Amino acid sequence: MSGSKPDILWAPHHVDRFVVCDSELSLYHIDSAVSSELKAGSLRLSEETTATLLSINSDTPYMKCVAWYPKYDPECLLAVGQANGRVVLTSLGQDHNSKSKDLIGKEFVPKHARQCNTLAWNPLDSNWLAAGLDKHRADFSVLIWDISSKYAPETAVATEKVRLSAGDAEAGLVVTKPLYELGQNDACLSLCWLPRDQKLLLAGMHRNLAIFDLRNTSQKIFVNTKAVQGVTVDPYFHDRVASFYEGQVAIWDLRKFEKPVLTLTEQPKPLTKVAWCPTRTGLLATLTRDSNIIRLYDMQHTPTPIGDETEPTIIERSVQPCENYIASFAWHPTSQNRMVVVTPNRTMSDFTVFERISLAWSPVTSLMWACGRHLYECTEEGKASSLEKDIATKMRLRALSRYGLDTEQVWRNHLLAGNEDPQLKSLWYTLHYILYFIVQYTEDMDQKLTGNKGPLVYTGIKSIVKSSLGTTENLRHSRSGSDRQADIIQYLSEERSLALQLCGWIKKGTDLDVEPFLNSLEQEGDWERAAAVALFNLDIRRAIQILNKGASSGKGDLNLNVVAMALSGYTDEKNSLWREMCSTLRLQLNNPYLCAMFAFLTSESGSYDGVLYENNVAVRDRVAFACKFLNDAQLNRFIEKLTNEMKEAGNLEGILLTGLTKDGVDLMESYVDRTGDVQTASYCMLQGSPSDVLKDERVQYWIENYRNLLDAWRFWHKRAEFDIHRSKLDPSSKPLAQVFVSCNFCGKSISYSCSAIPHQGRGFSQYGVSGSPTKSKVTSCPGCRKPLPRCALCLINMGTPVSSCPGGSKSDEKVDLSKDKKLAQFNNWFTWCHNCRHGGHAGHMLSWFRDHTECPVSACSCKCMQLDTTGNLVPAETVQA
Amino acid sequence: MELNLSALCLKAMRDNPAALPGERFGMSGCRKELPSSEHLSVADATWLALNVVSGGGGFSSSQPIGVTKIAKSVIAPLADQNISVFMLSTYQTDFILVRERDLPFVMHTLAAEFTILRVVNGETVAADDFGVTNGFVKPKLVQRPVIHPLSSPSNMFCVTSLDPDTLPTVATLLMDVMFYSNGVKDSVVGNEDSGHIRFFSFSLIEGYISLVMDVQTQQRFPNNLLFTSASGELWKMVRIGGQPLGFDECGIVAQISEPLAAADIPAYYISTFKFDHALVPEENINGVVNALQVSQAEKH
Repeated sequence: MSGSKPDILWAPHHVDRFVVCDSELSLYHIDSAVSSELKAGSLRLSEETTATLLSINSDTPYMKCVAWYPKYDPECLLAVGQANGRVVLTSLGQDHNSKSKDLIGKEFVPKHARQCNTLAWNPLDSNWLAAGLDKHRADFSVLIWDISSKYAPETAVATEKVRLSAGDAEAGLVVTKPLYELGQNDACLSLCWLPRDQKLLLAGMHRNLAIFDLRNTSQKIFVNTKAVQGVTVDPYFHDRVASFYEGQVAIWDLRKFEKPVLTLTEQPKPLTKVAWCPTRTGLLATLTRDSNIIRLYDMQHTPTPIGDETEPTIIERSVQPCENYIASFAWHPTSQNRMVVVTPNRTMSDFTVFERISLAWSPVTSLMWACGRHLYECTEEGKASSLEKDIATKMRLRALSRYGLDTEQVWRNHLLAGNEDPQLKSLWYTLHYILYFIVQYTEDMDQKLTGNKGPLVYTGIKSIVKSSLGTTENLRHSRSGSDRQADIIQYLSEERSLALQLCGWIKKGTDLDVEPFLNSLEQEGDWERAAAVALFNLDIRRAIQILNKGASSGKGDLNLNVVAMALSGYTDEKNSLWREMCSTLRLQLNNPYLCAMFAFLTSESGSYDGVLYENNVAVRDRVAFACKFLNDAQLNRFIEKLTNEMKEAGNLEGILLTGLTKDGVDLMESYVDRTGDVQTASYCMLQGSPSDVLKDERVQYWIENYRNLLDAWRFWHKRAEFDIHRSKLDPSSKPLAQVFVSCNFCGKSISYSCSAIPHQGRGFSQYGVSGSPTKSKVTSCPGCRKPLPRCALCLINMGTPVSSCPGGSKSDEKVDLSKDKKLAQFNNWFTWCHNCRHGGHAGHMLSWFRDHTECPVSACSCKCMQLDTTGNLVPAETVQA
Repeated sequence: MELNLSALCLKAMRDNPAALPGERFGMSGCRKELPSSEHLSVADATWLALNVVSGGGGFSSSQPIGVTKIAKSVIAPLADQNISVFMLSTYQTDFILVRERDLPFVMHTLAAEFTILRVVNGETVAADDFGVTNGFVKPKLVQRPVIHPLSSPSNMFCVTSLDPDTLPTVATLLMDVMFYSNGVKDSVVGNEDSGHIRFFSFSLIEGYISLVMDVQTQQRFPNNLLFTSASGELWKMVRIGGQPLGFDECGIVAQISEPLAAADIPAYYISTFKFDHALVPEENINGVVNALQVSQAEKH
């Protein structure tokens, strides 16, 4: 507070009062301003607050520094340090009957006059007031006054000659004998008491920082530095101190006092004030001369500054509380992050530093953000369904229901996926038919039933159809099962029937019977589709029969009878009324299959656009239809066109056409782009077995992403299942063993010979030395026959199955063996702490650390489990279960 | 204890009655600040200021202040090594000026008892050892009788300071006191023969102001402006030297300060271009003069 620049101080106990001091002291009361109207005499500090001047004290001229009495006092007792080194207690209250009445007006006078630079009340003993003075050649610069001490007239007048201060003796309020005198022949520029002990005082002296210990005043700890201004202790971290010199702030750790632990970026202008925020840890505010911003340094994320050589991270930012230059600022003692600032012309402003917002998004859709001391959880209002529709939620639920893992009946996976997405249904049926065909095919191969279309099925109908081009074309006129079917041409070839097979219409290559398929559709209640398929197989009677059945069944639509009626009136006369009516009215039918049926019946031979481009008819049915009724050229064109459409749209039904080829990956890529469903993509492409589809980097990318996603959800078991599933289908993905247990004696991997034993499980065989309970004892190194280390808990050599531990009777043993068979395998695994290298059976260790924090080995105080960052995590599946 | 070094050079205005009537005074400042002029005579050396700072734990007793305090530790050893020193006491501290060319000897002499630091751009750094070891003889413990004539003026002095912020308010007064008052006083009060000396010292070192003036001058300043001690102590002066002392003779400060230190009498010591001045508490003046005269008598 040099010259006329005002300083500002909050009252330590009256949260609504502050003092502005320049040549006089002005006490203000702060109010919240509800209305926009200003009361007479009040000043607006912010949108919410105004200040009213309560009183002015101009009793103390030549003020250099002010400190507020830390004890609760209604009178606002202040200590004022003057230019001549005197410290005066003064008050801003009106009540003259207060307890501190005796103190008001008391003066503390140093032996030799010089400027008082700083004042600091002891936070523990509020009678102690430390004053820091300029240098005098023979006097002390740090004086600690006891404000309760009685003036001592005997020393003041009797022995010494009082010439110059004769006027001061009047009231007897002058104290000349300090409690402690420190720092001889030195200047003190700043002071603060250390909260660690009542008798520790940190002083910024001329060119050094010194810690004075009043218990032994001849001792002091000091460090030479220029940064001696404005020493201040972090209220939340009592060993951390800030001080400054010109534009640079130094942060000190009192436990490692030799040099600053860090220095903040130097400012071009000299600093005038540095203050820790009292309501928030590690937040330091700094102000430079002629500046309208306050610079904040957030040391929140600083690890303990001692020890590590790494530079701690600091987040620096600036706030601008007002337009004008700031003369001084003061943090509010209790209100969070709040401060008042004062400008050189004494305008004030009330300002709250807005806390940085940190945001965290969990892998399972919940969003949290923190601001100051508040933690907010965000939920989307209203539309809970949008969350359910989110692919991440779906994938999570599907992962839990083991989606993709049904390898027996592959089509069932769409049921595991929730049976709600027709594309998934189509996909899994396609995959099912492909795999079914492969199984059949290999069986046929075994029986030498020839046919070399095996690998072709993977490549999709598009390639199959192409391969049939020109070579194996059989045409024939249909005689039809119905009465009047005359001129409809059907096409047939080996490839076409393979395609029909993949579409699910027929079961086996040469057998064109669609009856099993119709039955299964009837069972599902899919009457319209069944009728359409029957019709497309030129069996109108069967179609009508199906529709009748549908109408009479419980859930069926009665209108089906009407449709059956219309169907039965079929005539192949070109100009009949029936034909005319059907072709116009069919468009009003809601069901695409019914619509397609009439389109088929009313269409000219060879032009079936009404069926082929009825987009709501399943792709497989349209393709099957095309395979039956289009000639090679038409078929190829149609398939080509449809494939491109599917690829563009990312429609999974198109996998039927593309198969698990590059084309399929392209299609899947646009599907993933559209939906983000890496789960389906991963599982689907894994079926692409030995082909190069799996080597496609996009596929690997989806697979890795899905694995990461499972990890992020803490679905570790699911991920393991996925990995197992993956390594079955893609042996190249099987990870190489990365960890070996090696023998202490010969240094060879102890699993080296075990890996030769076929029943050892994949992947983890190197851990479980005795994976099989039947092979009960492998307790020595297979290489050198020396014993393996002992488990720290059961003291049995490693490799011994847990279930055969002594202690339980033999009969129990067998029960345990069957019951915990699966668990026991893991219980037998080796486990050890990477830090202290103690360990034992995994099961023993787990149960030990359930109740203990320290290593089971006596005299080892390693906190092994706490060092294991993942050891304490719980898989999400078990939490949900 | 630590010793700070900063380079200063010692200059003095040539006695020029026309420009500066009567009073001689020493100025310490940076050489570059003053233009060279025929009126300015400069002692032919760069002087470095030593300042004893109590870094390491300090002094328990506060009574023997000023030169007395460092008489044994600094001044006597330097005198023993025949190093010429120049003393400047201020309100805040004491400076010992030594010639730059003597620095290696100074450092070697003082290294035993002090940590010597060099001030570079306001930052204190450890000074390099100059590595001069040859040419040192173990000094003989010799008596140092006072060689130069002494005089003790009758007026009493105070050593004081003031807040630099208030300097503008007394600027004209200071100028008056320094440059224009003495001629008038000369005719009214008389001269040195009456035992009255005109002595006014103003120094501004590192932002700190130090003033030494007699009581009459002090009364011309406004009340409460000057920093004074609570006890209001006053000082009397012992002036050393009949002829200008020059810059080469060594041991002068030691001759005065050692008897004072022996008697535990606090003192200020101000060397000027021509003479040296010691200030001692008024109640001690008789004892001091006697002691010094005894010492002086030993010479003969």
